[in-house]
Amino acid sequence: MPRAADAHRPALTRAAPSGLRRWDRHDLGLYVAAGGASVVGALLVWSTTVRTAGNAYLVRHLVTAGVGLAVALLVGRAGRDRVRAVTPWVFGAGVALLLLVRTPLGTTINGSRSWIPLAAGFTLQPAELVKVGLTLALAALLAHRLDRGADPGGRDLVAAAVLVGVPTTLVVLQPDLGTALVLLALGFAVVVVGGAPRRWVALGVAFAVAVGVAAWTTPLLSDYQRARLTAFADPTADPLGAGYQTRQVRLAIGGGGLWGQGFMQGPRTQGGFVPFQLNDFVFSVAGEELGFVGAAGLLLVLAVVVVRVLVVAARAPDAFGRLVGVGVATWLAVQVVENVGMNLALLPVTGLPLPFVSYGGTSMLVSWLAVGLVDATQGERRA
Amino acid sequence: MRALTVAVIFVLSIFGAQLVRIQGFDARAVAAEAESQRLTAQIIPAMRGQILSADGTVLASSEEREVVVADQTAVCTYDTGENTCAPETSAAAVLAAAQKLSPLLGTPTSTLVEQLTGTSRYRILSKNVTPLTWNTIAALGIPGIARDRRETRSERTYPQGTTTAALVGYVLDNGDPGGGVELMADKELQGTPGKQTYERGRDGTAIPAGESSITPAVDGRDVTLTINSSLQWYAQNALAQRIKETKAESGTVVIMNAKSGDLLSVASYPTFDPNGDIGRKGLQLDNKAFSDVFEPGSTAKIMTMAAALQEKTVTPLTPVVIPNRLQRYDENFKDSHEHPTEYRTVAGTLAESSNIGTILVSETLKSSTLERYFRAFGLGRTSGVGYPGESAGLLPPSDTWSGTKRATVSFGQGLSVTAIQAASVFQTIANGGVRMDPRLVESVRAADGSVQKAPASKGSRVVSTATATQVSQMLEGVVSSEGTAPEAEVPGYRIAGKTGTADRYDAKVGGYSGHTASFIGYAPADDPQIVVAVIVQDPTYPYFGGYVAGPVFKDITTYALQELKIPPTGAEPPRVQTEVDPRKALADPATLRNGVKHPKR
Repeated sequence: MPRAADAHRPALTRAAPSGLRRWDRHDLGLYVAAGGASVVGALLVWSTTVRTAGNAYLVRHLVTAGVGLAVALLVGRAGRDRVRAVTPWVFGAGVALLLLVRTPLGTTINGSRSWIPLAAGFTLQPAELVKVGLTLALAALLAHRLDRGADPGGRDLVAAAVLVGVPTTLVVLQPDLGTALVLLALGFAVVVVGGAPRRWVALGVAFAVAVGVAAWTTPLLSDYQRARLTAFADPTADPLGAGYQTRQVRLAIGGGGLWGQGFMQGPRTQGGFVPFQLNDFVFSVAGEELGFVGAAGLLLVLAVVVVRVLVVAARAPDAFGRLVGVGVATWLAVQVVENVGMNLALLPVTGLPLPFVSYGGTSMLVSWLAVGLVDATQGERRA
Repeated sequence: MRALTVAVIFVLSIFGAQLVRIQGFDARAVAAEAESQRLTAQIIPAMRGQILSADGTVLASSEEREVVVADQTAVCTYDTGENTCAPETSAAAVLAAAQKLSPLLGTPTSTLVEQLTGTSRYRILSKNVTPLTWNTIAALGIPGIARDRRETRSERTYPQGTTTAALVGYVLDNGDPGGGVELMADKELQGTPGKQTYERGRDGTAIPAGESSITPAVDGRDVTLTINSSLQWYAQNALAQRIKETKAESGTVVIMNAKSGDLLSVASYPTFDPNGDIGRKGLQLDNKAFSDVFEPGSTAKIMTMAAALQEKTVTPLTPVVIPNRLQRYDENFKDSHEHPTEYRTVAGTLAESSNIGTILVSETLKSSTLERYFRAFGLGRTSGVGYPGESAGLLPPSDTWSGTKRATVSFGQGLSVTAIQAASVFQTIANGGVRMDPRLVESVRAADGSVQKAPASKGSRVVSTATATQVSQMLEGVVSSEGTAPEAEVPGYRIAGKTGTADRYDAKVGGYSGHTASFIGYAPADDPQIVVAVIVQDPTYPYFGGYVAGPVFKDITTYALQELKIPPTGAEPPRVQTEVDPRKALADPATLRNGVKHPKR
């Protein structure tokens, strides 16, 4: 990752011809890393689905990745000011769509009411969109004060809490605990970096711990949810029920060894043993078919994306850019950690996709949109 | 922000460590566990060989039967274009599927709709679907309709039904042979099941690239019998009809090739339907020709005559003085009818079927000599065919013969034979004194088409050709207007044969009860081709062999000669002298008469 940064630096300082300068502004390293993750994801999704569906999923994955790249480039070219200008609209639209899910327009898949069906078999997942809205809204709220050299006050923090609370509550109601966790972590990171006083931060942490304990000890969580949360630790306790996925995933990844079973030759993957392998457990395909080398490599590519976002954010000329970068980095990092963690039986199983890699149109588009946002907010403030 | 970067790197290194643990250290154990979960073995059933008649008619064959099952959660998507059931289209989809399947499975649509509706993922629709029908079903492309290869079985069918059932036998539900040729030739008929191991995906189908090994099934071999299907069919029907007419209990017809000992027909009544009767109570599943023993009566007299002629203690023209009664120990023997003292030749004794005359002839022989000839004719041992449940008959050693038994064995009482043994005695005479072991299996054909012929029967000489010819000429006298069985005459052909009307031992009564009526003969008499033995057990009065069995013999022999295209020889039968002048007889020192001792051989 330092190499990518170094390679990019001269382009920033060099006086480029005016026609090319607008393209130079884009962070090439970020695009390359995200593009690489998308291509690897396409191959892994292809491998899991080629036996049952041929090339259909490969094509759709590549199409959404291409559309995502185009959107990212457009947003990146639009620049920080325009992005900041549309922030309230984006956040408002996200929340509105979340509310729309609860109307008869939404559909329930696998027990969660999280989707709005569109034309031609495509579906929209508003919870993904609201990540973008929340990142922008929080950054705009806090940057407003920071740009004038002041720390956010009590009113700002309450406003931030409301901004985080409203979409999170709607997402919890779907229910989609994974995305709720991402929204909370994203909000927390942005608020902390945005200069919230230590005692407020401590108070927030204490509150979160209290809610967690309360949820665990009172009947707030159903037995099913409890079982899902503990099954990862001992999958053999219920090998055909809650522990089934974890166990199959472990067999798949364990079967990979150092170099893997070979692309499209993993017995667990090709045999279709792992449910939802093309989205939630796409990492296990890499583990089984590409082995330790492939899985660790994929992790590294995703780490490059996250760290690259942080590097870009650190160089942002203003607080808005920095906060957007922190928000996006936290969001992507939490998703990577939670998704890979559940694949490796280190964390409970939730339905969070692996950014760029997992199959899923909204997730792919929104991940690329995040890249575009980070890209848009970097560089010099336009006159 | 630096803190965030450090946190990301920290978490990622934990992930790296876990990857190393799972993929590096546990890999072997995990891979083994994964494979053992996937590897499955499936038995590939081997088809049982066919049983065929010598002319190629299928007597028993196996057909594959598929088990067709339904996944109720998938059938309801038939023709809807969806992957999951929708409540509004399910009923119509199931009905459409049921209507397509109904004629193929032979199940009413309403029953099928019920069987196809629900949430069960494994519901057996039929266990009795032919591969052809299955192909038609599969071509319909109804989702969720599958055949369960693990349950594929081979079902035995018997196209000839009751006609050959008692000979061919049957197979039990579990595939084991139950009797008859099925059991006799089980080693040949039975195939070796194959085995397929493969890696199985979550939905149970084989993983194409996975490890797999196949040991192919070796199908059983086809067994061709010496049986002629037309003769078997005709004999079985003629026998069944006569048994019903005479209200008899059971019976059998054996047709043998006179020269080779090949069994051309082994009919047995009562019989059963192998395609549906098995398991019902009160069935008689055995073949009477092999399993039923009876006292042969007069048909055994030819062994006594042949032995005496061969030992040269008599000639066909030796006079015999036959009184109306003959006392031996505490028994006063008599013939089938009252008569004044008769003066006959040995040939006339046999033609008239005189018990007293036969006793007198037998008394020229030692008991041990008579026993030796009986055994040489095949009595007291199984035929060597290896037929399951075959009896060896009962021939007590001669040193245990009591005073009266010494007399009765000479005319076929006090010893028991099977129909196969009885037919074999006549085959020996017909074949110029050389007995051929009966033969039932003609050849065995392996699945690759190679045919292995069963070895020809070994012959053993029992009496000389001259003796056989003399006995044969005597037997021709029986089937004439002067003999005991004019009913058995076949116009245009010279027939040799002998009636038998014996007291029948009944185990239920524990003594003699009822009769065994028989006629055994061969044709053409001067160039014998076929031996036909007709045995009827316990007919109602009139129970005489000539009356009960003679017409069946005539009927079957006529048909067999035509079927086998055996022409009449056209030669005139010899005149056999049966009576002698009383004065000449009394003057002849060689004359056999009560109270005159002759040297025994």
